[in-house]
Amino acid sequence: MSDKLSPRGKLVKRNRLIDLGVAISREPIERLAPSKKETCRVGLPRQIGRNGRYGWCIQTEMLVRRAIFGFSPALALGFFLLMCPTCTRAESAVIPHGTLELVAENQWIAEGHDFNLGLHFQLENGWHIYWINPGDSGEPPRVKWELPAGVTAGALQWPTPRRLGTPSIVDFGYQDAVTLIVPMHAEGNLGLGEPAKIAAQVKVLVCREMCIPGSAQLSLALPVKTESPAPDARTRNLFMAARKSLPRPAPTNWKFNLDEEKSSFVLTANVGHEITQANFFPIAESQISNAAAQKLAPSAAGFRLMLQKSDQLLKPIERLKGVLALADGRAYLIDVPVSKTGAAKS
Amino acid sequence: MKRLMLYSILIALLLCTAPKLFSAAKVGEAAPEFTATASDGKSYRLSDYRGKYVVLEWHNNGCPYVGKHYKSGNMQRLQKEWTGRGVAWFTILSSAPGQQGYVTASEENEYVRKMQAAPTAALLDPNGQVGHLYDAKTSPQMIVINPQGVVIYDGAIDDKPTTDLEDVPGATNYVSLALEQAMAGKQVATTTTRPYGCSVKYADATH
Repeated sequence: MSDKLSPRGKLVKRNRLIDLGVAISREPIERLAPSKKETCRVGLPRQIGRNGRYGWCIQTEMLVRRAIFGFSPALALGFFLLMCPTCTRAESAVIPHGTLELVAENQWIAEGHDFNLGLHFQLENGWHIYWINPGDSGEPPRVKWELPAGVTAGALQWPTPRRLGTPSIVDFGYQDAVTLIVPMHAEGNLGLGEPAKIAAQVKVLVCREMCIPGSAQLSLALPVKTESPAPDARTRNLFMAARKSLPRPAPTNWKFNLDEEKSSFVLTANVGHEITQANFFPIAESQISNAAAQKLAPSAAGFRLMLQKSDQLLKPIERLKGVLALADGRAYLIDVPVSKTGAAKS
Repeated sequence: MKRLMLYSILIALLLCTAPKLFSAAKVGEAAPEFTATASDGKSYRLSDYRGKYVVLEWHNNGCPYVGKHYKSGNMQRLQKEWTGRGVAWFTILSSAPGQQGYVTASEENEYVRKMQAAPTAALLDPNGQVGHLYDAKTSPQMIVINPQGVVIYDGAIDDKPTTDLEDVPGATNYVSLALEQAMAGKQVATTTTRPYGCSVKYADATH
């Protein structure tokens, strides 16, 4: 595709292609200087380039946005409701450099039962979204639910993140693909007549060296029955993988201790065997420095991990809560009180 | 020979630890001195502004968090209000060449004109020297320095860490709050927050 300003007809054609779900050709945008790319994507007219190249991509982007966020969801939903009344995988929505899909674990909602939905993000190579604590920059995805009476949504379940960024600025997030499970509850009196319509508006920041805010309107129609729910084979693997990537509660015989020193916390773990690889992800922001190296000293019974305090930590904390990631993808949720003797020392 | 090796090791150690010795700016401590060239071609030295309040604003014109404050006119409003009340306001551009937000002097002047921005000056910091001196992590990170040259605020521009323009009106602006309180002779209530936004695009930003 030429990267020159295309005539309007061509743009509309391209726009239709996108509307039908064909991947957006990124070629012209990728050829731009990195400093212009994001601007191009978000379509700020003030950045239109001198040679009209950026102008082309801005126009395309604006049309794409209109196509995606204007009439496409309605069309997609209509198509979906017409063709596939019991699907638990809806059409995926386009987000910057990826797609987002609302999926259900079961084929129907059973009255009076809890059930799970999932937000499945698929990202292009190199792009990432953020954990509940994004780290030094960025922000986690946020969801606004529109639910039928009698259905309530619980808190998103966050898989173990990975460290992203540079030596001086460290973020926590996910690359490639991630599914956030959402536990839902259905009351016993939903009404059996019509499928339950579940809609979610998701705001998500997608970043590589630059960040692009995206928004997607998702929806799913699930039949309501009195019978026990039956799992949907098509989403089984997604949910299985999502559960595997969630941090688990630490075994009850593992003992943790947290000593406070002047500029750091020392996490000591007694797990009965030597641990040579450990990384701590704090759930709350501004407690420990995200970028500082976490120095690990393995011991016969576990390890000691030095966690440098954040410059933004001004008040003493009672406990440190987060995810402890060990080797082979094993990760545990820990919540360790600051030891009294340690606090007195400093 | 051995002694020479020992010396070179010592020197190497010193060089390695030097950035840590001159650690980044901290609230309650003296603001690190810097001199930087602005898009207007002039050179600005921080210590020349002793006796005035100084605001440092980290900027990247492609960052959607920065975009929120410029498209809504919020940043320009703040710049006009506070420079009108005697504050020196420096917009600092620490994006490395080739990175998002890197601009030449004339591009920045054009941006300031188009956006009707009103900083005292826009400082070009393509090697990230000022950014690292203040450990600036995001755009728009904000720092407020008092007339005695002490950092009195370091962190986010406000309490709404989003890219949504509609979040600007209801937000508590930490920069204005710090300046109001300090000018009234009061203790600054919120001195440090997590600076939200895009990561500053230093030369090591590619990964």
